[in-house]
Amino acid sequence: MTTTEKPATSSALETVTQEEPGSQTMTLSVGPQHSGSGHMRLIVELDGDIIINAQPDPGYVHRGIEKIIEVRNIIRSIPVIERPSIIDASNLNHAWVRAIEELQGVETPARGQYLRCLLNEMNRIMSHLYWLSIYGVFLGHTTMFMWPLGDRELFIDLAESLTGARITYSYLVPGGVRRDLPPGFTEEAIKRTEYFEKRLDEYENIFFENPLFTSRAKGVGVLSKEKAIELGCTGPTLRGSGVDVDLRKDDPYAAYGELDFKVHTRPDGDSYSRAMVHMDEMRESSQLIRQILKKLPSGPIRRKAPIVVPRGEAYGRVESARGECSFYMVGEGGDKPYRARFITGSYRNLAAIPAVLKGVRLADMPTSWWSIDYWPVEADR
Amino acid sequence: MSLPQQREENLIGILKENFPNDIKGARTIRRSRADVIVAPEKIVDIATFIRDKLGFDHPIGVSAVDYNRESRFEIIYHLSSIKNREQRDIVLNLKESIPRNTAKATSLVNVWPGVENFERESYEMFGIQFDGHPRLEKLFLNDNWDGPPPMRKEIRFPTD
Repeated sequence: MTTTEKPATSSALETVTQEEPGSQTMTLSVGPQHSGSGHMRLIVELDGDIIINAQPDPGYVHRGIEKIIEVRNIIRSIPVIERPSIIDASNLNHAWVRAIEELQGVETPARGQYLRCLLNEMNRIMSHLYWLSIYGVFLGHTTMFMWPLGDRELFIDLAESLTGARITYSYLVPGGVRRDLPPGFTEEAIKRTEYFEKRLDEYENIFFENPLFTSRAKGVGVLSKEKAIELGCTGPTLRGSGVDVDLRKDDPYAAYGELDFKVHTRPDGDSYSRAMVHMDEMRESSQLIRQILKKLPSGPIRRKAPIVVPRGEAYGRVESARGECSFYMVGEGGDKPYRARFITGSYRNLAAIPAVLKGVRLADMPTSWWSIDYWPVEADR
Repeated sequence: MSLPQQREENLIGILKENFPNDIKGARTIRRSRADVIVAPEKIVDIATFIRDKLGFDHPIGVSAVDYNRESRFEIIYHLSSIKNREQRDIVLNLKESIPRNTAKATSLVNVWPGVENFERESYEMFGIQFDGHPRLEKLFLNDNWDGPPPMRKEIRFPTD
């Protein structure tokens, strides 16, 4: 057996090899074209149609963002750090400003904090909807592909009226946010979230209770609680394994300490659990949007903050749609950080892929893999 | 009511008590953020202690910082706790410094399996060797990349 000993990062042509006579296993290279893997490659070793080993080979969308943000000032870096996950841009943006504010000691006014949470929760829904539509594609369920993408426009329009941009907002800046609520936003947001929650019921009927989905997700791709913790998994992947970790509760930031919401978990750790955690979180975020608008305090939205990274170290972390997103920032007094380490949810969940796929049938690989909500661009940065 | 940074100080106190000679420095940066700098040769023992006795069972990630003016790399393990609910907000930075010309460190994959990918990234981006790492290969960089480790400070950005 020589195929299993090959290093996983050898070229694609070498990896898909002719097996030796008598060999029990076959190695298959999935990706890096978007063939149900995203822009990454999975090197899958099969015994029959059972996956006995799966190694991810990321890096196809690596942009060197950690290097880029070392040479730009902290404001010019904001559009850059949003790029890894444009569907979840404001949460990444939030981790960035949180690290800077920790160093500067700048406090954002209360209204600014609430507006940050408002866009964060809209982004969480948009990101989960995008994830859900791709899930539909993977299962050949065209309706589940079209509906979430259509309903995502509800929130894209809202975000556009709030920030001026559809997806990459650069809305959060050190010291606050860029713009206040436009007229009529609250009424429109309430109308749209209420409609959206009715749609979620329809999603459940057509997809989450559909045997097409349940037969390929229940009991498949199990990630135990202990394994999820020691691998450092985060976000819905960790909560799908029954661990009630959510930074919005555990290390409350912005206005989350004053908001009332539940952390949703599922105990089983299978693809179905991870998918249902996403569903529950969309409901919770929808409720949170209305709550934020109801509790929104008056006052300024932004405080003046200098364009400077003071000497010292900070660790800014937020709960993004795919789990904890954080910046470890080292400042030396200039207008750019000496070092800004960018650790995203998908990067951490990369470690879960081999554990989840082991023992799964090849036909169930896309559903198991996608239930981790691994976003290759966010992991590669 | 306890002092605002009592928990962080307690953690540091326990570590100093158990490893009086191997903790090179420790401080509370601010609420929920603490730093421990340790001797590189003792990092496995201290890491195991932190995991088992202090409850930091959940690795967040690993950072490397190139302090080229001081001729050293700093490797930082960012750790959080799930087991101890009351310290879930704390990020403990376990740090070690290694000389820049012999960039060798001991891998902590056996303590926290989740750091495997992060150590691989530090290897390819900074050229740091991790002894005992099961798969020290490139992670994000292209296979045919034969340039120097790109995140080192002497590699200048084209427009810089």
